[in-house]
Amino acid sequence: MTVRLDTIRECLEGVIPGHIATGDAEGMPNLAYLSQVQFIDNEHVALSYQFFNRTRQNVLAGSPVRLLLTSHLSGAQYRLNLKYLRTETAGPLFEQMKAKLAGIASHEGMSEVFRLRGSDVYRLLDIEQVPGLTLALPPPAVNYLTALRRATGRLTACGSLARLLETALDCLGSEFAIGHVMLLMHDEGRGRLYTLASRGYPESGIGSEIPVGAGIIGICARERIPIRIGFMTSEYAYGRSIRRSVEADGQGDSLETAIPLPGLPEAGSQMAIPITAFERLLGVLYVENVADLHFGYDDEDALVAFAAQLGLAMHHHQQTEELAEDVPPAEAAAAPLTGPPLLVRHFAANDSVFLDDDYLIKGVAGAILWTLLSDFVERRRTSFTNKGLRVDPRIRLPGVSDNLEARLVLLQRRLEERAAGIHLAKTGRGRFSLAVDRPLQLISS
Amino acid sequence: MLDSDNAAFIQTGVSISLASCAPDGLPSMNLGLGCKLVDAGRQVGVFLRRSQSLALLDNIRSSGRIANVFSLPSSNHTLQLKGSDARIVPFSPEDLPIIERHIADFVLEVIPLGMPEAVVRAILAYSPDDLVTVTYSPCAAFSQTPGPKAGEPLATR
Repeated sequence: MTVRLDTIRECLEGVIPGHIATGDAEGMPNLAYLSQVQFIDNEHVALSYQFFNRTRQNVLAGSPVRLLLTSHLSGAQYRLNLKYLRTETAGPLFEQMKAKLAGIASHEGMSEVFRLRGSDVYRLLDIEQVPGLTLALPPPAVNYLTALRRATGRLTACGSLARLLETALDCLGSEFAIGHVMLLMHDEGRGRLYTLASRGYPESGIGSEIPVGAGIIGICARERIPIRIGFMTSEYAYGRSIRRSVEADGQGDSLETAIPLPGLPEAGSQMAIPITAFERLLGVLYVENVADLHFGYDDEDALVAFAAQLGLAMHHHQQTEELAEDVPPAEAAAAPLTGPPLLVRHFAANDSVFLDDDYLIKGVAGAILWTLLSDFVERRRTSFTNKGLRVDPRIRLPGVSDNLEARLVLLQRRLEERAAGIHLAKTGRGRFSLAVDRPLQLISS
Repeated sequence: MLDSDNAAFIQTGVSISLASCAPDGLPSMNLGLGCKLVDAGRQVGVFLRRSQSLALLDNIRSSGRIANVFSLPSSNHTLQLKGSDARIVPFSPEDLPIIERHIADFVLEVIPLGMPEAVVRAILAYSPDDLVTVTYSPCAAFSQTPGPKAGEPLATR
């Protein structure tokens, strides 16, 4: 094979629709347009099966398959020789293609028509470049190897989970030139993802939630596979429509809906990348852009490699905070507080916490805050440890696998955003301190 | 075989492609550079670049069977014609204006869709001495416009 498929993947995006040729038993050819070609590896591709048409009949009857693909960047054309292997009707590949097709269908005004029935997997036997005039490829917007090298270098220099997450999002902007990013953490016990950091939105959305399985981010989490969509589609929206469906399911109460999700109202391009470590899903990186077809296979590869580094680093920091514990500093006596008291109200039913009647947070992070503030008011306690929280019966953490450090980062961020006069600060590995600016009045309901 | 609407359609700024199978079943295909009606509309002639179509032309010589697709990018309106009497004839320089007009029409069709003109012109670049004409009598016609009726045979005239 003279051409490697991974070097011509722009041809698979369908900017210039590809052709598929097959033949029947009598040797009568059939020619049709392709909705999408999915790169699996250099020896395998998948084609979308939407209709039981002549192409499909010929393929199932054993016809050799030829594709004609064209680069929208250079005008180069390639003929690919394929052999049909199998059809997948569920699972990661199917979900990747289904999401991509939803975008294509919406773009083509075919949302009611295009429905993925299966992902037909083919072995790639040969690629032949069609002779003819081609243009020089334009320089890429980003050198991904340089971006990856610099970004992963910056991750290794981070000393805490909070610093790591900030650096990761900064890198996506400065090294990868991605302007709209969200990082969501996986709440394994509740089947949710919660936003821990974002860039490029008027509101950070920290604390907002998405159920696993809902929208592009939720499907990425469920299947643990990158999902990339090149055109705007309501089918994979992750905003209000998701909440409506969850509320209809009767789960609305447990989903964080008071904090709005960030997001572009009309994203042309969306990509969600799972962050995993040692077979566990830690979270999802989500990026978007107003332009159509903004993210390609190279962007996807670069972010998958970046997310792999990020996942290992996140795992490391979580372990460090749980296992190690720096010697506590001498607990400084809290200065006497003056001014009007801050009213802190706690509802035990869902652990929601309100500050002066304004909603702050609920769930595990709400339980943590209530515990810290209760200890502060009762005993003037300001120094805490991750280990202590882990075993505290008042908090009821979902399990050892839960990323407690991430929940502390979430709580810290929400408090900072609200400028409520309650501060959490790390004081060492596995330790943090609480500081309050005003007297507190706690009310439990 | 072709009604007047379809006859007119295939001569607008459509994308034209042609396929034929080898004796072992392996199809080959290439883009056409325009087409004309021959023999009072009973036949279609499609222009191909020989250097890009060696296997396709071999297949046509050996089987005479072809599939010919015409698609208008702006509407997705797509028509597939089949033929079993295809043959290759020398390109007549008198047909050059048809090719030039086809390329001009196609460029006008796809530029509003965001395609760079230079790329489109590279894809359709040709040298006149590289051209051949494939003629055939359409024996079947199918709508391939995406949708529930895709693949249905068109009523014949």
